[in-house]
Amino acid sequence: MLALRLTRGSHPLVLMRRLLLAAASAGVGFLLLCTLGYASGHPAHASGSLLRLLWCAVPLAATVHFAVAVARTDPSTRPRPGLFAAGLGPVRLTVLAAVSTAVSTTLGSMVALLFFLHLRGDLTGLPFDGGAAEFLGGGTPLPLAAALTLLALVPLVSSAAGGLALRSRPAAPSEAQEAEDLLTPAPAPTGLPWGVALTAAGLAVEAYASRGSAGSPLPLPGRLDSTPASVLAGWTLTAIGLAMAGPGLTHLCGRLLQAVRPGAVRLLAGRVLMDEASRIGRPLGVVCAVVSGVVAASVLYTDGPRPFGPLTALGAVLVVGCTTATLLTSALEAKQARARTAEALVRVGAPMSVLRIATVLRATVLLAVFAPLTWMIAELAALPLTG
Amino acid sequence: MVAPPDNDVIWARSLQHSHNGSPGLDGVSLGVRDAEILAVTGPRGSGKTTLLHCLSGQLVPQQGEVWFNNVPVHTMGPRLREHLRRDRFAWIAAEPQLVPELTAWENAALPLLLRGVPHRAAKKAATEWLERLDIGALAKKRPHTLLQEQRQRVSVARALTAAPTVLFADEPTATLHRAERSQLLRTLTTAARSHDITVVLATHDAEVAALADRTVSLLDGRRVATAALPAVSDPEGRSACSLSV
Repeated sequence: MLALRLTRGSHPLVLMRRLLLAAASAGVGFLLLCTLGYASGHPAHASGSLLRLLWCAVPLAATVHFAVAVARTDPSTRPRPGLFAAGLGPVRLTVLAAVSTAVSTTLGSMVALLFFLHLRGDLTGLPFDGGAAEFLGGGTPLPLAAALTLLALVPLVSSAAGGLALRSRPAAPSEAQEAEDLLTPAPAPTGLPWGVALTAAGLAVEAYASRGSAGSPLPLPGRLDSTPASVLAGWTLTAIGLAMAGPGLTHLCGRLLQAVRPGAVRLLAGRVLMDEASRIGRPLGVVCAVVSGVVAASVLYTDGPRPFGPLTALGAVLVVGCTTATLLTSALEAKQARARTAEALVRVGAPMSVLRIATVLRATVLLAVFAPLTWMIAELAALPLTG
Repeated sequence: MVAPPDNDVIWARSLQHSHNGSPGLDGVSLGVRDAEILAVTGPRGSGKTTLLHCLSGQLVPQQGEVWFNNVPVHTMGPRLREHLRRDRFAWIAAEPQLVPELTAWENAALPLLLRGVPHRAAKKAATEWLERLDIGALAKKRPHTLLQEQRQRVSVARALTAAPTVLFADEPTATLHRAERSQLLRTLTTAARSHDITVVLATHDAEVAALADRTVSLLDGRRVATAALPAVSDPEGRSACSLSV
């Protein structure tokens, strides 16, 4: 109940993030139910159904990633003196955050169920009744236990992941303790060499595997063309490598930005970027990996008569949307963490324009480094498949 | 508007301010003379911080006037007040309020860097002040590795490096122990006197106020002759309390 009460009083922007999470959860739930509908409608194509289910793991992972970011930035479940004074320790706060996540994602799952039943023709009275009945296996009975299990997947996984991610947050008994915690900097990221090695290995695996490959053990659903499993393994390795290299690269950007006799703007922008590297670098690396994947896929698949089906499109939109939203949410989290510093700067007499220019400078530097990198990885990934 | 007396750096007339309805200041007038150290005393919640915020242009009083060097501050726009704060005023708070990403000397040099002073000159000025405050050896350390007292010294160095006309110190020693407290205050007042800096010092401590040239006492948002509370005839306030608890 406390979670609901805190939700009721929260800022519209916070509610907006929760609604986005609910929408993402609804999308994933719908995809999972579609897989179930396809399987119950086409019992002969068991391997095809399994393949569809496996592809659902990608949007599921993106949604869980986003759910963790939302739980982290949620101001109502942040460890704060107000809740601490009322007797909420770290464990209760973690439970509170997990319940908030579960509420949003369950709402999404319910919407997905209603929408699915409606499109299948089981619920009537609205336009597009049974619009996709044949495709979703309309007419065949839907196994209730399976549907509920699939729908419970997103809420359970995201609540557990959120709880695990937040369990080590320090308690904040007072403003002074909070200020002391904020002074402690994040350790410098060390994953850059590993990230670069993994990215290179991923590209190499993909190039090696795509030599004269014709078999298709893992084709993209909605499309009969082949995507060899080893190519996918290569892409996955590249994506993990980029996510690992992100913080290190961001730290490097910050270090370069504040080098050689900086003025106030460059000094603030660079140091803040170095300190935020682990917070903002990881989602940035993930976005980079996803965008390079999308670019490479669009290079490969634009030639065919029907490049991809509506469900593949929904999955792609979910993945891109969730990773971008995670990046923006992490940027917001970094901004929240810096609010006290910004206040101190304004008190010293720093004009607001200096703070704004520093933010723009950070964004520009990151864009200037990561955009060419993404493009390059995408080109390298598509090269062996097109040639 | 009546022009203020010429010998006052800051002059305030019948300041009134409330925070969202909660009373803050209720008709306070005072003048701060050039190069003096003025202590504003009073218990917690008596309006010292609000008064300092109004005098330093961080807050526009709801009623009343604030003049700095014969220029009205209460009619200035936010941008002009920002300029005034950056170029003429300095602020020391109870908490050091350092930027955690910057080293000690960078924190101290920040006001100069914000004014556009070249890197080298700003570093020189900041290092000199850190050495005068006996923390020259810690210049390259980040705030999280320093003790609270050392951080507060860096905050004092930041205020003095800016070479302000007026330095506002809001309970600068509230989080320190007594030995550190007297040392920090002595350094601050000596530096202010030798560099002709006007200091407005808010404190609830009579010992601290004794270092000042003049004292202004506040009580419940009003200026009073002395901050000593009237003798209590009914020690537990039983007659005034209508609740039975």
